[in-house]
Amino acid sequence: MKLVFASLAFAAALGLASSAAAQEMAPPGGSYQKVSALVTLPDFLPGLGQLYVDPATLPAGPFLAYDHDGRLVSTIYMIPIEDLNPDKSFDDLASPGGAVDHVDVYFNAGHPGVEKPHAHVVLWHVSDESAVAQ
Amino acid sequence: MLSRRGLLGIGGVTIAGPLLRWPAALAGETVEIEMRGRPDGSLVWFDPVGALVRPGGSVRWTNRDPGNAHTSTAYHPANEDHPPRIPEGARPWDSGYLLPDQSFVMIPEVPGVYDYYCVPHEYAGMVGRLVVAEEGASTGAAGGIVPAGRSAEHPAAGRGDSAAGARAGTPIKPADRLRGLPALRALTRPRARPPSSSIPLRLYRVRGTPRR
Repeated sequence: MKLVFASLAFAAALGLASSAAAQEMAPPGGSYQKVSALVTLPDFLPGLGQLYVDPATLPAGPFLAYDHDGRLVSTIYMIPIEDLNPDKSFDDLASPGGAVDHVDVYFNAGHPGVEKPHAHVVLWHVSDESAVAQ
Repeated sequence: MLSRRGLLGIGGVTIAGPLLRWPAALAGETVEIEMRGRPDGSLVWFDPVGALVRPGGSVRWTNRDPGNAHTSTAYHPANEDHPPRIPEGARPWDSGYLLPDQSFVMIPEVPGVYDYYCVPHEYAGMVGRLVVAEEGASTGAAGGIVPAGRSAEHPAAGRGDSAAGARAGTPIKPADRLRGLPALRALTRPRARPPSSSIPLRLYRVRGTPRR
């Protein structure tokens, strides 16, 4: 039994690592599409980077953000403020980019694609944010 | 209902080059309004929020927000069934999404008060007001313009859509730019929208050419 559990855990870990590796460089695979091709937004957003998202997951995301060299820097969730209430929760959100260095949470007034005021929850996979500052 | 493209055709023009094709704009001054926002997107606004436009003049909105897209869109039923907040007989406009450094020009043809908003940021209170009038005129209760020296009553009075800056008899200040009209935020009324989980992606073509 222990052996089976250990095997499953190893396989799960391997799967996560593989998934993270698949997203390390732009463009990510799967259903992710470039946000600037889906809605009218600049291709590179100062402070965030170049964003990709699976449209089926809107508005929350996750959005994957890449720097100018196509390296993954963060995973972003955009949670509408009105959804932060007693009747709604966001559980088991994935971190498809792998290990998280630090997290930023801040208010955003809205933008095409996620027009309602919302919170940006940024899971940074790098310690230095300057690569996407401009 | 008019399409966005149709609205552009009758209400304004994106900057694709000099304004030589629009002699009316050359005949008068152009009021410049910038679309701005904090780097993190936590605040967005029109600067200035209110402006006085001389008859024959034009208004140019330019997106100076490097991380966001904005619109200038008239409060009018033709635009997402919004309430009418432009003078009777005036034609509504909608710039469509403007990316950073893109501009849109509108030439108001009817004196009066024009209220407008930014489509993706109306929820955030990004609204503005234009007053089209000669210096010394005053505004009627519903935003109509009364020439200097005449009564401030207006045929449309009582329509109930007046706000600060558009009250009966209020003289229009000689300054070209009326900054800080706090009551404009009261114009921002959340619209009935589908649940957030079903909000479709909005796919609009951007009109205009970046001005570098």
